[in-house]
Amino acid sequence: MNDFTLGDILLALLHGLQWTAILSLTAFVLGSLGGLIILALRLAHRPALVWLAKTFIEVFQGTPLLMQLFIVFFGLSLGGVEIPPWLAAALGLTLYTSAYLAEIWRGCVNAIPNTQWEGSAALALNRYQQMRHVILPQALRMAIAPTVGFLVQVVKGTSVASIIGFVELTKTGGMLANATFEPFLIYGLVAAGYFLLCYPLSLYSRHLERTLHVAR
Amino acid sequence: MSLVNITGLHKHYGPNHVLKGVDLTVRQGDVVTLIGRSGSGKSTLLRTINGLESFDQGSITLAGQTIGSRDAKALQQLRLQVGMVFQQFNLFPHLTVGENIMMSPRVVKGESPHILREEAHALLAKVGLADKFDAWPDQLSGGQQQRVAIARALAMKPQVLLCDEITSALDPELVNEVLAVVRQLAQEGMTLIMVTHEMRFARDVSNHVVFMHQGKIHEAGHPADLFSRPQTPELQNFVSAVM
Amino acid sequence: MSYQFDFLAVAREAPELAAGLARTVELTAVACIAGLLIGIVGAVCRAWQLRPFNTLFAVYVEMFRNTPFLVQLFFLFFGLPTLGIDIAPDSAAMLAMVINLGAYAVEIIRSGIEATPKGQIEAAQALALKRWQIFLHVVLRPALLRVWPAMTSQVVIVMLGSAVCAQISTEELSYAASLIQSRNFRAFETYFVTAGLYLALALLLRQTLLRGGGRLLKRGRP
Ligand SMILES: Nc1ncnc2c1ncn2[C@@H]1O[C@H](COP(=O)(O)OP(=O)(O)OP(=O)(O)O)[C@@H](O)[C@H]1O
Ligand SMILES: [Mg+2]
Repeated sequence: MNDFTLGDILLALLHGLQWTAILSLTAFVLGSLGGLIILALRLAHRPALVWLAKTFIEVFQGTPLLMQLFIVFFGLSLGGVEIPPWLAAALGLTLYTSAYLAEIWRGCVNAIPNTQWEGSAALALNRYQQMRHVILPQALRMAIAPTVGFLVQVVKGTSVASIIGFVELTKTGGMLANATFEPFLIYGLVAAGYFLLCYPLSLYSRHLERTLHVAR
Repeated sequence: MSLVNITGLHKHYGPNHVLKGVDLTVRQGDVVTLIGRSGSGKSTLLRTINGLESFDQGSITLAGQTIGSRDAKALQQLRLQVGMVFQQFNLFPHLTVGENIMMSPRVVKGESPHILREEAHALLAKVGLADKFDAWPDQLSGGQQQRVAIARALAMKPQVLLCDEITSALDPELVNEVLAVVRQLAQEGMTLIMVTHEMRFARDVSNHVVFMHQGKIHEAGHPADLFSRPQTPELQNFVSAVM
Repeated sequence: MSYQFDFLAVAREAPELAAGLARTVELTAVACIAGLLIGIVGAVCRAWQLRPFNTLFAVYVEMFRNTPFLVQLFFLFFGLPTLGIDIAPDSAAMLAMVINLGAYAVEIIRSGIEATPKGQIEAAQALALKRWQIFLHVVLRPALLRVWPAMTSQVVIVMLGSAVCAQISTEELSYAASLIQSRNFRAFETYFVTAGLYLALALLLRQTLLRGGGRLLKRGRP
């Protein structure tokens, strides 16, 4: 294995894993904010805003994440400024996450029976108050499990950022595989790294789904 | 001669002793009605007769053949002889009415589609749905669905037909069209074992009524005697409550 | 300073894009059919708890749902040859897509099977059908119908995910795009148009699967 010990490899991969986690978290946090905005537009009573939100969701759920990253990456550098891969990756993944979360959350809001809207309207709450005090608290409970579940998709999605040159776990793996000529081992370890991040989240999401179903 | 012979049947659901030694003999052409309070074990007894429930002790003999409690081969034999109609119809939603009726004889017995088609049409005519061969289950009323379910069970040419509260899920105005079909079957000599809350129907049609109480046959006899002169206080209470 | 967009430079490469699109469609079609089959078999093993297959499928499902498609692809394409198994880019892409979709399909179809009302099974048992006959004639079609929208979404996700296959030089749509932009130096326009093609394909695929699958599974039922 040339000059690389297994320790070197693991250390390098761990470093990559750290960037995968950071990128995931960034995209998730910013994407949640973005998702809330899109959700608000989607639930607005203005056709133009609804159309805007729908189109946003349709476009980001209907195109490959890779194309989204490319477009952000090359689009931002059209003005002649070179933008770093991490920025393009974070921005692209944020938009992607926003679209999916908005759609997931809309499903939860829609699942609240109409009688809840009517009941709260009868109490003279306005639309914002209905949302804030009646609908959202219930929708939020329902949203937790699928949101955690989607976090798994975000973590896996960050691997695509390696293609625009962001050095995270997959990119680190690629470089190591080239250097060591041990792709089987390296990519196995890379996969294990993702599994380590994703599997607990999957389990947690399933657990939440079960307990919340029982509680309801 | 006895067609179904049940002796010393015991059944537990966990700690819950549901059947506590049931003996029952049903002869060819008998129409037996099981009555009793909710939870007395009527459905459970019915379901053991075609192997939908296993049992712990005792035996069931059908046409001279004894069925052990966990014998897959024998269960298959048993189910070939025993048809069942359910409270919730349970038609297959992805098959047309005709296909619902023909599917099982085709798949299980490998009968020819040509003959099956004719038989299915005849069965539908018998239950008064001659024009519904190509309809889908969800296009039919509850009463019509239940009549299709009866036709479907008959298509297997069972020796015994089990009916578990087959009118309980129906709107009141649809009950009679289903009971009429059952009445006709009884008159034609079909062996029937049924659970029903339609006491007047039970009295009219059956020749043997079994009152179940706490997992046992508490009292049994001809409907005329049983309903007019109940012997035990439990049956007296039951009869006065339901009639 | 203002940038002059030049979409004509992309339009000129239409044949290249068309060829890539065709390959993407082809890969997706194979993945869809094979993934569905894996899904059905796996779902039965899981739902019936057929040992040891239920455990094997559970491990398979968790492994592939909790790792990125790109890594699965690299593992197959770069990893297998070190074991002496050479694999062409196209086969690697196809295999990765099939395996990936299969893992999701197992869980999707299983949930459809498990949602079968108990009464359906009991009615079929009372009609003397054996277990596999019940599955084939009573359970399968309604189960697929129940989960068809979820299955469709997953096929679209796998189709979109296949864009990374260009990384192992599978000549699908995104490969065509990267080739074109290296010739015309119009990366933004090229990827923009390509994204539009993916979007159109995604919408078309979704509609086709929902309509076609629905029609096939429902057979004229209202
Ligand atoms: N699948 C089951 N698991 C556990 N207990 C059961 C099950 N099915 C029935 N029981 C119990 O067995 C007892 C008898 O039930 P059964 O359904 O045979 O009563 P029944 O006489 O048909 O009542 P009903 O008139 O309500 O239909 C009840 O105490 C019931 O709670
Ligand atoms: Mg009952």
